[in-house]
Amino acid sequence: MARYGMVIDTRKCVGCYACRVSCQMQNELPVEESYIKFYEKETGVFPNVKNEIIPVQCQHCEDAPCVSVCPTKATYTTKEGIVLVDSDKCIGCKYCMVACHYGARTQDHNTGVVEKCRFCAELVAEGKQPACVSTCISNARIFGDLDDPNSEVSKAIIKMNAQPLRPDLGKAKIYYVR
Amino acid sequence: MVDTKLSRRGFIKASAATAALASAGTVGFNEWSNQYVKAGANADIKEIPSTCNACSSKCGMIGHVKNGRLWKLTGHPDHPYSKGKLCARGHGYATVVYSQDRLTQPLKRVGEKKFEPITWEQAYKEIAEKLNKIIKEYGPQSVALTEDPRASGKFYSPRFINALGSSNYYTHHVVCSNSRDSGFLHTVGVSSTSADISNAKYIMFIGRSYGDGIRPSSVQALAAAKDNGAKIVIVDPRLNNTGNLATEWLAIRPGTDLALVLVMSHVLIKENLHDMEFIKNYTVGFEEYAKELKKYTPEWAEKITGISADSITRIAIDMGKAKPKALIEQSWRGAFGCNYENSTETGRSVAMFNALLGNYQQKGGSIFGGKPNLGNLNESIHPNPKEPEAPKAGKKEFPLAYHSHGVATIVAKEALEGKMKAAIYYHSNAALGYGNPKVMKEALSKMDLVVAIDVQMSETAQLAHYVLPEVTYIERDEVIEGLSGKIPGIALRQQMVEKVHPETKPIHEIYSELAKVCGVGQYFNFSLDELNEAMLAPTGITYKQLRDIGTIMFQNEEITLGEMPKLKTPSGKVEFYSETYKDAGFKPIVEWIEPKVSPADDSFRLITGKQAIHSHTQTANIPILMQITKDYDLERIWINPVRAKALGIKDGDMVELKSSEATSRIRVKITERIHPEAIFVPSHYGITSKDLKIGQGIGFGYMEHVPFDFEKWSGAGNIHEVIVKVRKVKS
Repeated sequence: MARYGMVIDTRKCVGCYACRVSCQMQNELPVEESYIKFYEKETGVFPNVKNEIIPVQCQHCEDAPCVSVCPTKATYTTKEGIVLVDSDKCIGCKYCMVACHYGARTQDHNTGVVEKCRFCAELVAEGKQPACVSTCISNARIFGDLDDPNSEVSKAIIKMNAQPLRPDLGKAKIYYVR
Repeated sequence: MVDTKLSRRGFIKASAATAALASAGTVGFNEWSNQYVKAGANADIKEIPSTCNACSSKCGMIGHVKNGRLWKLTGHPDHPYSKGKLCARGHGYATVVYSQDRLTQPLKRVGEKKFEPITWEQAYKEIAEKLNKIIKEYGPQSVALTEDPRASGKFYSPRFINALGSSNYYTHHVVCSNSRDSGFLHTVGVSSTSADISNAKYIMFIGRSYGDGIRPSSVQALAAAKDNGAKIVIVDPRLNNTGNLATEWLAIRPGTDLALVLVMSHVLIKENLHDMEFIKNYTVGFEEYAKELKKYTPEWAEKITGISADSITRIAIDMGKAKPKALIEQSWRGAFGCNYENSTETGRSVAMFNALLGNYQQKGGSIFGGKPNLGNLNESIHPNPKEPEAPKAGKKEFPLAYHSHGVATIVAKEALEGKMKAAIYYHSNAALGYGNPKVMKEALSKMDLVVAIDVQMSETAQLAHYVLPEVTYIERDEVIEGLSGKIPGIALRQQMVEKVHPETKPIHEIYSELAKVCGVGQYFNFSLDELNEAMLAPTGITYKQLRDIGTIMFQNEEITLGEMPKLKTPSGKVEFYSETYKDAGFKPIVEWIEPKVSPADDSFRLITGKQAIHSHTQTANIPILMQITKDYDLERIWINPVRAKALGIKDGDMVELKSSEATSRIRVKITERIHPEAIFVPSHYGITSKDLKIGQGIGFGYMEHVPFDFEKWSGAGNIHEVIVKVRKVKS
């Protein structure tokens, strides 16, 4: 059984927002709703400056707080490790929004369902890549099976010493290279 | 947000904001996506290969159409510019097809900014009558046509204006690449080369940012080059978004790139790192050029550019050692496209620097691409209009300008002088984007006839006498696009969805029908399909094959690297010394030229550039793209903290920006990523058309501050020759 995860190499990210827009279109989101947020971190003093762009979305935590707080079990983790929301069970209470360390959840204005990055589970089931990965113009995103030591994503984590964004907040399945 | 959990207070605030948004509703995209939900899960999905229209690159893409409506896009895997990827503007601009602000029927102006709908027949009849009257009275050269070219436009627009007897065909390059085109053309015989980035060992970009003005394959190639250990130097007064992929940022004083390139060239020769073999075989005028360069020392350049003599020397030497897998990228607008009075000379010096490195037609160097061999219509059945004898307006004033693109703003100048009487603008917002809008608008107002063909009510359309509504690129087939490069190929833009608005028409129909009413229909006696079939004939590919695949590359026609082609310069070689320049009244040897204006201690140079989500002004009204601007305050101007502090300005403050041309109010982003002498403003904002409800009033248009000007060599817009003062105001 695969356990899906992702690497985001911020050293390659040029902050182009292609992942955000392709995700919105894949998931048919309204323009104000996005599953991916961007944080900028500027360091140094002119002219010795570095600017880092950090895309943040649902980290698909191993022990996801949003899953444990959900009163209706609408949010659940699939056997492949993808955290999903059953929209029929979601009552829009937003406990999950409060519980999420990463502010990665957003409420659909039309349905009231609180959604978030789903690793494009239906595309992955077809053997395709999530929309954000397949459109990334600098190949800064790598997706695959964390349990397969030969997968591109596993090799990238080892080779580049990728780390979760905030290891202190629990085990995440998105690893960052910074 | 990452650092702390959402507080209870923030939680309530978030809920309230959500509710407010829900009640306000959104336009276009929202409505569009709602329809999917209704469409149900068992949707019929078609995948249609086509090409993008969100910028000039026209990348290959695949439209995923669900229940007859465009759902999403993916990059075409075979297209050389997309290589399976699409940028944000590529994804987002496609939603224009469902924009609520689309033009839906032909319009006739009946008062200031007042229009009434008319039929196509009436529009054609009145436009043709006026055009013919103007041509009869003032001659065909009093009519001009300007466009931002796309596949169909490139074929039909010049044909249409030539059929009317005029040679006045222009493109938007006057504010894009005119200087580069001129500098390159008279040095290496083509207006642009391409670059073998993924194989290069040392790459310098001057003002160009792959991460902002995107071709996805270029960014992938640069990332690959970085992985391979290439040195990547960005020369730019601002640390642009490609900075992450760079090994070094040279924060140059704006307008001084020419000095840097001249000195690096001098160092190469002085250190004997130039490719003498290449120079001997493929160039002319090297001795005179090398002699001239002697006066440009690293110490001299340090004073002008602000970059240390040591850095300049080190980089030049390292590039020399990495040759021929080292290059200065050819850029588009960059710092030598159309920005400064010295931009043509900068373009020229870059083409020459690459020659010193002997990198032309070498792996990891600059490439002269091959072109696909496409067929033509049978002239005995489909006659070509005669090439008008009269020279294109502007040719006399700017003999060095790349003839095919021309100097589009000459149309405005001649209109103000009463010489140009009619102008057609297709897929072009010249009134806002081609130079000072006050001047452009006055010029358009003086003409007897202005026709705008567009998909939305641009500022140019607002000034037109007639506005002809085109279908969007999602709803039309186009002329086959030839792709030149290391491997030549072809791509087809084709219709993905049924017309959304029944009274809109594709451009080839508009030109063909209008030509008929104008009395020159004999030059348009073929269908688009017939034209495409004729173009395909020599390739052995069927129209159906192309329709099925969308992009076809001719792998067996890959050019051979290492073989220098004969160049299209008068000498057939790289020209370090140019008789063409001499004949045109310019120095035949490249030399240092001062920028036209310089900021003082209390002022700044206003510079501009692309953001990854927008193109020109055409994307400003696209909700899914403009929302990103709003979410991240991307319309703000960039100021260096030292200068901001002196002016008492804090991050997010509202300021007044004043130039010789205009005054604007805008909020500030304080960042170390900008040279203290410069203020950066993204180039896509300042929409004034009330019919573009999403874009109107966000940010300001930088062109408002740009004096109406022509760079002496190429006629380019000198769009960075602007000085501004800034003061804090209350928001």
